[in-house]
Amino acid sequence: MRNSILVIAEHADGRVRPATYELITFAKKLQATESLAIRVLILGAEILHLAKEIAHVSGLEVWGFEIPHMPDYNGELYNKVLTEHLRGAPPAYLCIAHTSQGADFAPSLAVELNGACISGIEDILPAEDGICFVRPLYGGKAVAHIRPISKSAVLTIQPGLFKPSQPTTEKSGNVAVHPVSIKPQWWRSLGVKQLTTDTAGITEADVIVAAGQGFRDKDNLALAHQMASIFIKSTVAGSRVVCDLGWLEYGSQVGVTGATVSPRLYIACGISGAIQHVTGMRGAEFIVAINKDPAAAIFQVADICVVADLITFIPTLIESYQKIKAASQGLRPNGIVGIME
Amino acid sequence: MRILVCIKQVPESESPILIDDKNAWIQSDEISEFRMNRLDEFALEEAVLIKEAFSETRIDAISAGPGRSTEVIKRSIGMGADVGIHIATESEGYHSSFEIAAWIADYARGKPYDLILTGAMSEDNMQGQVGPMIAKRLALPCATAVIFEKIASDKKTIYIEREIEGGNRDTLELQLPAVLTIQSGINTPRYPSLSNLLRANKLELEKIPAKDLAQFASHENLVQMVYPQKSRLSTVLKGTEEEKAMQLVHILRERALLI
Repeated sequence: MRNSILVIAEHADGRVRPATYELITFAKKLQATESLAIRVLILGAEILHLAKEIAHVSGLEVWGFEIPHMPDYNGELYNKVLTEHLRGAPPAYLCIAHTSQGADFAPSLAVELNGACISGIEDILPAEDGICFVRPLYGGKAVAHIRPISKSAVLTIQPGLFKPSQPTTEKSGNVAVHPVSIKPQWWRSLGVKQLTTDTAGITEADVIVAAGQGFRDKDNLALAHQMASIFIKSTVAGSRVVCDLGWLEYGSQVGVTGATVSPRLYIACGISGAIQHVTGMRGAEFIVAINKDPAAAIFQVADICVVADLITFIPTLIESYQKIKAASQGLRPNGIVGIME
Repeated sequence: MRILVCIKQVPESESPILIDDKNAWIQSDEISEFRMNRLDEFALEEAVLIKEAFSETRIDAISAGPGRSTEVIKRSIGMGADVGIHIATESEGYHSSFEIAAWIADYARGKPYDLILTGAMSEDNMQGQVGPMIAKRLALPCATAVIFEKIASDKKTIYIEREIEGGNRDTLELQLPAVLTIQSGINTPRYPSLSNLLRANKLELEKIPAKDLAQFASHENLVQMVYPQKSRLSTVLKGTEEEKAMQLVHILRERALLI
């Protein structure tokens, strides 16, 4: 298995997660430089049909470990089964999704395999003196190019950046599923609790005014609502920090642990732009960012950047809008008010 | 109970990050303000809440870094930690999670900790590796992104809710001792109290040179650091605040986003 690229598939509720196909795209990009064989490994209960689906869609060889009654994720079982299987001959690269599952088991696996561990990878840079992986630092204000220097490297890949691989025209890859008899000793899974956070309000809006820590105080959030009120079909959403602080309900949170939105207009106010947030809003048609920190990472993903303190800028913006609107209406006969109102 | 909380000092999130001339590391001497990693504040608060619920609990706060890191250790004592430990690195610069986890595991080995807590990740390095790596080195159970915990009355197990995608929660029970990485929002971190801060100033921190602990060579090289590439046009509006506002209104009206 040494000198191979191994993709660890992610699945839940009897379905292959899209992250798995993103990992396959990543692995193929890696293969273009490293010319190593790619294999996919999947573990869990009743995974044969999932293994077949992956082999069919990707054309890759898929190995499965069938572990009766295993829940979708159990950190101890992932660690023990993967360690047992890989210890003898670790692959050159292990590709794991940077999700709540992957980020949980990847670091300890790297220690076990005595390999590099590079988390939250956003891109691959081929180079003559060896491949580099690109990952963000300092909330996205800087980017590091990191090269593994060990025989084996555990890589976790940021979801949402690599397009899921399209079904291949090649013939289906081989599937081999082996039963494994193992029971957890110290991690007792008790099931997934679905929290009914209602995110409909923000996923259905055309315009989202998103509030971050830059508002400094819950009372200042009124400014976000005032700004939203000048748009049609608009709403106020927030970053994780704002929801943690209790300024907004969790149902209004945009990001990895909240909602993914793609409105016509997204106005990020006082939001730093960490990848966890950007993942939830990069699909917006048009993005305006307002932040007083000119180096804020949010500006990298914005169409329009306004470097300003939102506490003074938002009132100025609303005032400017009213002036411009009044002026343009003044030109109309009889002063007809905009029919859209 | 005895709890070890791992904390990290990071630049204030609004500090500009300047990369040095060799693209090797950030210009850390240009950063005027450092503070405790926000997620570590949640980890420390969780330890203090456990201390309030279980009498005779002792909290040790540990941080690896250059001399300035002692500030966040003192702040931990201000928030309610009992003892502060500083793993002193010789200089500024990058240390991999591999090295840091090996140092902390080496310190903790053989000490009777029931729980080791860290923040779910650091705001600067953003990897979330140190917690699970400490657990592996000490052969302890570990769960990441913990958003709720409750220790059983016999103190042998801990009920945990991990935050997973979409805000749902994976629930489980771990055997103690264990390592948990704490997600934000689990509690509301308190401000340090004046009496505790006064105590922190008098208290001698345990200082351990990093070079006296287990040494593991890093498995990766930081080849270079660069500024991020823009994924969109990122047009920066110029002028006074009013001029910027006028431009923005015009742009939004042109695109029929504002009527």
